[in-house]
Amino acid sequence: MHALLSDEQRMLKEVAGQIAGSSGLENPGDLATRDRAAAWQALAQAGLLALRMRDEDGRPAGSGVEVAVVAEALGAGLVPVPYLGSAVLATELLVLAGADEEAGELADGVSRAGVLLDRRLSGLARLPGGGPWYGWDVDGAAEALALVDSPEGPRVARVPLDTGFAQVDGADLTRATARRDAPLDPARLRTVGRPLEAGDLARWEALALAAICADTVGVMRAAVTRAVDYAKERVQYGVPIGSFQAVQHLCAEAYVNAEAAASATNYAAWAVDELEPEEALLAARTAKAHCASVAREVTETVMQVFGGIGQTYEHIAHVHTRRALMNRQLFGDEGTQLLRIADVRLTGE
Amino acid sequence: MDYRDTPQEAEFRASLRQWLTENIPVGWDKIEDPEAAAQMRRAWHRTLYQAGYVGMSWPVEYGGRGLSAAYDAILNEEAGNLNAPSLPSVGYMGRAVYTYGSEEQKKHFLPTLLSGEAQWCQGFSEPEAGSDLASLRTTARLDGDHYVVNGQKMWTSGGQYADWCLLLARTDSDVPKHKGISCFLVSMKEPGVTVRPIIIASGEAETCEVFWDEVRIPVSQRLGEPGEGWRIAMTTVAYERGPADIGFIASYRRTLARVERLAAERGLLDQPETRKQLARAYVRGEVLRLNCVEQLAARVSGQQPGPEGSVAKLLWADAEQSLQHLAMDILGADELTGTESGWLSSYFTSRPVSVYGGSAQIQKNIIARMLGLPR
Repeated sequence: MHALLSDEQRMLKEVAGQIAGSSGLENPGDLATRDRAAAWQALAQAGLLALRMRDEDGRPAGSGVEVAVVAEALGAGLVPVPYLGSAVLATELLVLAGADEEAGELADGVSRAGVLLDRRLSGLARLPGGGPWYGWDVDGAAEALALVDSPEGPRVARVPLDTGFAQVDGADLTRATARRDAPLDPARLRTVGRPLEAGDLARWEALALAAICADTVGVMRAAVTRAVDYAKERVQYGVPIGSFQAVQHLCAEAYVNAEAAASATNYAAWAVDELEPEEALLAARTAKAHCASVAREVTETVMQVFGGIGQTYEHIAHVHTRRALMNRQLFGDEGTQLLRIADVRLTGE
Repeated sequence: MDYRDTPQEAEFRASLRQWLTENIPVGWDKIEDPEAAAQMRRAWHRTLYQAGYVGMSWPVEYGGRGLSAAYDAILNEEAGNLNAPSLPSVGYMGRAVYTYGSEEQKKHFLPTLLSGEAQWCQGFSEPEAGSDLASLRTTARLDGDHYVVNGQKMWTSGGQYADWCLLLARTDSDVPKHKGISCFLVSMKEPGVTVRPIIIASGEAETCEVFWDEVRIPVSQRLGEPGEGWRIAMTTVAYERGPADIGFIASYRRTLARVERLAAERGLLDQPETRKQLARAYVRGEVLRLNCVEQLAARVSGQQPGPEGSVAKLLWADAEQSLQHLAMDILGADELTGTESGWLSSYFTSRPVSVYGGSAQIQKNIIARMLGLPR
């Protein structure tokens, strides 16, 4: 048993951290000025968009652990690029469907795709069915991927974003969402690759959940670090506020919650490619349930430690909170995960 | 990164499992008489020792097998899974002796500590020195080639069955409080030692207070240098909180399974709220387990135990106490009227988890230090 990153994985963490450091946000004003195209290019050049491409033996270039390492770094930097949507969720879906050429275009960074989610943001849109739908993480993307039912099983459909979608003024300032209210006619959508099997979809969902958890862990850890640094420097009553036990315990509790989330997430990320799909999905739901239950509290605590300044739009704190809130909801909040875990544990479904 | 056993670990686990199924004393958990239970634990300790399962991660020269802490963790896990009696906790006291002891002390004390012939307890806390352990008042006055000990210790678990005590006492009151403490290896059979059980809120004798009245200890039984007691104590408690000692995870799982059965018996499994609560309890247990697994991996790779043990301790207390709350909510009146016996006692037994071994508040202080927050 070796539940620690390998040397190669630590190197990857460093590379991802460097890219996140140069393209991440220090304050909300950076959102307008960061060169997002350059950040995307840097990720592509480092091969980080191609982690889920398979070799001749069908093994991904990077396992769930590598994906989580990159996702955590980008979450920590609040980097405004569609890594999860395009390089993880859409690419993996295309690979599982055997659409290697389309996946390769995403992996090269030449084109981008997001995913089409249901109105609760709780999973991939399954067509036919009623909207509204949300294209998620669609910055620079021409299309969002959805599932279309067919007699042979669900197929991956490419939903063009250029007609019928409107950019949403959503919570998350770092990743784009587009909404569609107009009906979607599955017959007019282009499908790609072969139908997906239940095991494929379970493994895909496990990867999606683990990657979102890793992003959340990055958001929380970076936010806690910012709050702790601030508590060491901010002086009131003639002393740093971090010398007050009330503030110390707030920080300690946030730290414990974030670290516990990291432990559950690391295992979920490892499980994606190593365990049977249903076991991997249980590990991922477990991590997501915990991440979703602490993400709001941790980022709120950080805003609390920053006091008045932490409540302002100009401050970075709410950008962490916003990304964390979005992550909580994506692919099912805590309650959703708990009910699914209960199905597995109590009824053996 | 790999959460699976190595081939060697898997082989060890398989043979251990076989051994446990053959050697766990039948009906051990039905023993009600405390004396008989203590005897059973002693015998269990000897059985484990003879099979080579005690002190596996100790250095070979001190009777161990020089294995990584992962093996202790596997032992804990399997013993818990197969409902074995609690494992003897020789690890952290042994570590104090082999880290700080003289050659003579090691030769004299370690073999019987390992084998279970001699049972040990820990004399640290006092009525006026709980969280603020360094303010302890028990004194050891040098008198020729002996120290003479006077004072009172509290929360001395297993004190009534112990042969020896790892004792902290003040040997110098003229220096800052952390620097005037020394550590001793003392026989509990010495004249002047009086042990009284402490009945905790559950109504059970869980621990003891120990009175020390002019107890004489040979100078040769001081562990380490005079004034080194605080350092020894801190090493000891770091390992006491250690992730290898994850028997509580297996016991948590067993309790959760019982709570799930209770919910099923009461027809509550079709209630979404109950289902969520049970799943939440499962999640808490998994998060705790995975946090411990990571800390263990860090330990195996050579890191010394540090403040991260405080994270696991806080998670553990929260999981254990939340699970008892859940049981209470499911049982309702039945827990309060004695219809379902044992659960109220389990509830009160879960309360001190956030107090002993360093209270939750002390653990948060430790984490705040680690984060570099100013004093």
